[in-house]
Amino acid sequence: MKKSSSRGFGTALLLFILGLIAGTVVAVLLHTLTTGKFENGYLLDLPSWLLGALVAVVAFLYALIGYYGVVKGLLWQVAGTLLGALFVTALRAALGMPYSDMNTFWFTESAWVTGVMVGTLFFLAGVGAITDWYKMALGQTVSEHHTDVPGFRKYFGVSLDHKVIGIQYTFTSLLLLSVGGLFALVFRTELAQAGMQFLSIELYNTLMSLHGMVMIVSILLGIAGVMNYLVPMMIGAQDMAFPRLNAFSFWIAIPAAVILLSSLALGGFDTGWTGYPPLSVRAPLGMSMFFVGVWVAGWSSILGALNLIVSVLRLRAKGMIAFRMPIFVWAATATSIISLTATQMIGLAFQLVLFQRLLGMPFFDSTKGGNPILFQHLFWFYSHPVVYVFVLPGLGVISELLPVFVRKPLFGYKWVAMSSLGIALVGFLVWAHHMFASGMNEYLRVPFMFSTLLVAVPTGVKFFSWVATLWQGKLVRDLPTPMLFVLGGIVVFLLGGLTGPPNATVSTDLHLTDTYYIVGHFHDTMFGGYIFPFFASIYYWFPKATGKRLNEKLGKWHFWLMTPSFLILTLFMMRVGLLGMRRRIGDYDPAMGFGLWQMAMTIAAFLIAAAILIFFYNIYLTVKSGENATGNVWKSRSPEWQVPSPMPVYNYEHEFEVVGEPYDYGLPGSVYVKINSEEV
Amino acid sequence: MAHQHDSGSLRQGFVIFIILAFLTFIEYVIAITNQSVLLLTIVAIVKSGMVLYYYMHISKLGENEDSTDHHSAEWKLVTNRLGFWLFILSDAFLFAGLLTTRFNLLGFTRPDLDRNLGLIVTGVLLISSFFMNRAETQMAHGDQKGFLISTSITMLLGIGFLAGVVGVEWQRAPFSAGDSAMSAVFYMMTGMHAFHVLTGVIFLGVVLNNARKGLYTAENHWAVEAATVYWHFVDVVWIFFYPALYLIGRLVQ
Repeated sequence: MKKSSSRGFGTALLLFILGLIAGTVVAVLLHTLTTGKFENGYLLDLPSWLLGALVAVVAFLYALIGYYGVVKGLLWQVAGTLLGALFVTALRAALGMPYSDMNTFWFTESAWVTGVMVGTLFFLAGVGAITDWYKMALGQTVSEHHTDVPGFRKYFGVSLDHKVIGIQYTFTSLLLLSVGGLFALVFRTELAQAGMQFLSIELYNTLMSLHGMVMIVSILLGIAGVMNYLVPMMIGAQDMAFPRLNAFSFWIAIPAAVILLSSLALGGFDTGWTGYPPLSVRAPLGMSMFFVGVWVAGWSSILGALNLIVSVLRLRAKGMIAFRMPIFVWAATATSIISLTATQMIGLAFQLVLFQRLLGMPFFDSTKGGNPILFQHLFWFYSHPVVYVFVLPGLGVISELLPVFVRKPLFGYKWVAMSSLGIALVGFLVWAHHMFASGMNEYLRVPFMFSTLLVAVPTGVKFFSWVATLWQGKLVRDLPTPMLFVLGGIVVFLLGGLTGPPNATVSTDLHLTDTYYIVGHFHDTMFGGYIFPFFASIYYWFPKATGKRLNEKLGKWHFWLMTPSFLILTLFMMRVGLLGMRRRIGDYDPAMGFGLWQMAMTIAAFLIAAAILIFFYNIYLTVKSGENATGNVWKSRSPEWQVPSPMPVYNYEHEFEVVGEPYDYGLPGSVYVKINSEEV
Repeated sequence: MAHQHDSGSLRQGFVIFIILAFLTFIEYVIAITNQSVLLLTIVAIVKSGMVLYYYMHISKLGENEDSTDHHSAEWKLVTNRLGFWLFILSDAFLFAGLLTTRFNLLGFTRPDLDRNLGLIVTGVLLISSFFMNRAETQMAHGDQKGFLISTSITMLLGIGFLAGVVGVEWQRAPFSAGDSAMSAVFYMMTGMHAFHVLTGVIFLGVVLNNARKGLYTAENHWAVEAATVYWHFVDVVWIFFYPALYLIGRLVQ
């Protein structure tokens, strides 16, 4: 068994390389045949290379799992995309419209957009995420019972088990994190010196823009993964409220990611992750792929949030009243309220630009009565609250883990619980602080400045609670890796928080806006609020998921390599920003005098990448031959740790009852959950 | 025994329909006489509130049995209902965004549309809501045959609405989508709404087909309830879109 799977991996690698070459050659041939010229046909032409990569990934997965699950889905997606595009092309030809465009890769833009949408549906049908609903619509009865295929293959196909889905989400998130990070490394290297060394300005712009959105999708999937895995266990449920919808929410994110990344091959785009018109109306075809990809990913976010809210409201164990829920559940609920509602606004904003691009509807054309500022309002109505979507679960993880490691009750439980909701709700009222310099009505600036500064209040509640929880805590000398990441997260998020008010205050923001200072501030909040807690939760709950504990020594290398490098990176970002470095620009004047800072930042970025590689190596090593850890590794009081790891399919064999407060660590005789095993 | 309440519920649905029709007429009169935006907004809120309460039964969300059996039909129904209403809430944000777009770009001006046609399609959608409510009431009281008839009428009226908006209004409008922000907003709002009507018609088709197979009973017909709530929601959206497009603001030729 073991032998055949390792041979499968060798075959898979071989097929990966062959697929890469074959895909590239096919793409170059297609290009040469359709243009009749070989002049652009050198083998590292980006579109050809990316088609090769797609073929390689599918071939690799095929060797690993056969014609099943995601392989089937991806092949169907390609077929669906071609069918949709050909259908529109035929329609256009029949109506006497131009039906082919060499500037947009053979098909017209409308054919491409229709194609990728049809491709998404085909993916979902191919992977099997909508089979049950289709049968229900036909009036057949279907079972909601989990019947997963054995072994690791279940992670590559539709599973209704929230734990499998959680791991699928997390794995996909890490994959996209690597892709987005790779993009960052490429353009960070370009920035190490003034002048353009090896990237064209267009490619720089595309990579920089995609880095932003790929990371955002990665974070959305990452929090969905952690929430999916943990929330049902924490509230004592067997699964989420709607297991099929849960699987659908995950699987729709895969075609979304494929479409988003395809923009790199299909002409790229140059707007940054914000996609502001009028620039986004004029950008190449890649812009439309970006819009459609994000729109599809938005559905993953909306439906996942819906599922989570219903699960929390309906599936709590006996005795788990609102103020006995773990803080992470509070944070996940607050996050989901934002995802459920505000996501529609960015979807609408992107649709409006798509309609202007495809049908010439002039929503943002000021010569025809349109207004580009409208886009920014709609866009930021989602995109500001969404940063709370990114950080709230992470801050929840910090509050969740701190008491475990300091062996003390969480300070001010109720206040911390409410502060998540507070941040989420105030977050809806602050969006225009991104638009102080946009030319919107000036009277809007001051109210938005004050509402933005108000966010510091509930966030301050969290910090106060963390500090008070740490106060006189019983910290062990050699801190375990999850605790290191928790403390790192607190420090980095504090830096992100303190660098925020200068951007929120109109007078200073007018100076700072669109500089690298913003980039530094933003990365501090994202790392402190998401990346550090995300790694903390992976190190912390890895034994729960696999029954094996990640290597502590490698974990510490990961932390101590990543944290100082990251601090150097963002502090220098802010430094060059204050000196006048603009964000999103691929080149700078050597006379500005920040060449050395830029070089240091690039080196720091590579050190972070090295730390992440250590992390991946750690996972590989642990899964292969890790130390077994099936018990309550961290002496947690949380219900999921009261049963042996890895968790059984339906979580708890016996119903449990909540009889006490969740974070009474160190108080003698206190009980949080009582598992009714024998008494009944 | 359930049949005792049958006529009472049906009568209530009819009374609500009469009030809604009257308010729609009042709305029209306000628009052609004093054009008070405030009054039109109040009428729209009252109408949507009535549909939400009497036709969509939003108060059912408050029904919460304490069953701990997570496999029982009652538990599933309450959970499904909550999930579906959250979906409606999410979708409502999309339409709220479209209204924001309309007032941001057009302010208090409105496109040159045929107000009579607008009133007719609004009436058609309102009547369809009446029949939808009737269908659900009939299903809840075990009148399978009545359900099939009422649902079919609802579907036909929905298709009639689509024909009125897409088939007639879109063709007759004195502008095309690319002419101005105003025309773009008109096509976007009616298009997005028409897309929802279309999905509602498909949803009803599925429900109708399954009802013919006898899959639903008076006690157990969640799919019917979901289709009903969705259909009325699409009507609620139009309750706001109709004045926003046809009634409010100064006419721009």
